[in-house]
Amino acid sequence: MSGKGKLWAESVLLQFPLRVGLGGLFAFAAYNKINGVQSFANAIKGFSIVDADKYGHLIVVAAYTMPWVEMIAGVLLVLGLWSRASAVAVWIMLVGFIAALVHVIMDESISPDCSCFGDMNLICESTVGWCQVIRNSVLLVPCSYLVWRQGGFLALDRVFRDKSGDNDPEWTVDRGGEGA
Amino acid sequence: MRMKTLPRVLAIVGGAFLIGTIQAVVFGPVTLGPANLTTGTDDPKGDPNRLPVVPPEEGAPDKHVVILDYPTASYTGPLDPLLDAPVPEGTLTLREAKDLWDLGAYFIDARHEHEFDAGHIQYAAYLESKLFDTDIERANAVMDSIPVDGTIVLYCVGGECDASKNTAAMLEQYGYTDLRIMGAGYEHWVEAGFETAAGSDEVSP
Repeated sequence: MSGKGKLWAESVLLQFPLRVGLGGLFAFAAYNKINGVQSFANAIKGFSIVDADKYGHLIVVAAYTMPWVEMIAGVLLVLGLWSRASAVAVWIMLVGFIAALVHVIMDESISPDCSCFGDMNLICESTVGWCQVIRNSVLLVPCSYLVWRQGGFLALDRVFRDKSGDNDPEWTVDRGGEGA
Repeated sequence: MRMKTLPRVLAIVGGAFLIGTIQAVVFGPVTLGPANLTTGTDDPKGDPNRLPVVPPEEGAPDKHVVILDYPTASYTGPLDPLLDAPVPEGTLTLREAKDLWDLGAYFIDARHEHEFDAGHIQYAAYLESKLFDTDIERANAVMDSIPVDGTIVLYCVGGECDASKNTAAMLEQYGYTDLRIMGAGYEHWVEAGFETAAGSDEVSP
């Protein structure tokens, strides 16, 4: 198989399904949180990352902003637009979630619900535990891959690529890992 | 990371912040009240001139009334492994919850609706915290049936579940003062053979 053929195969078999799967998952999670922003705010408060009495406004800001970051990044990933940037955003969120989950697990005085998917549970129970840490760590693998390899040939990034000759590094998927 | 990635990530975050702000302005911001939950079997709280307990008659429509007397001390008899099983600090044991149920306290099921429909503590009302966002009229219908000084016992699946605490935090923002969390879960209630009901056609308390 030629080099370009391999890249096409990679795009179809790996990048596209991982993009759509991960992006769809985040968009779904975001939808549930946006529909229950009050519950999500309570959940963030329950994580006791910041003092809710002093910094309650930060919790409110996070409750409104984080789900929309997930939604935008998720939709962009599905579309394959700004693939690397959206994958980076998802990667940062996943690392942040893992850190928050570990913080809660280590602090035995708090036991909040994860609210990772709003009021729904996926694989793990609602209560924060190692299951969520493992789940998010597993999700980091395809996310890291997408940060590295971007969206592939089937991404909208290919359609809107800069054809002016100016070498946009976001378009270097066909050079393997160089641009990624 | 290439030079276009960082600005794009910042654009995603900025766009999210903007949309979130619009959402807050259009639909009203969330409020974070202190979740000062009243739990355990403390002295009576609220209005002392409440209606006395009227035990439901056999076959009569089930509707609890506000209670007058509360347990004033923890149970001191022989411990039962199920009724007196350890629960998270500050929450009700199964025995304490059942005592309040017998006295006519209001019970609220904070689990998912399909779980409530499959089975719940008899007379309990379904009030999941997300209803305050998604179906406030339904939440209001439940709140309208409970006086703000009524004793409310909230439960979910037990153990470390937070659904009951989330609903309690919401109710507190609406002025409810006597909120108690049942540390034992619904399954324990069933296991103990206490009264249950199924479906969503039951009269709310």
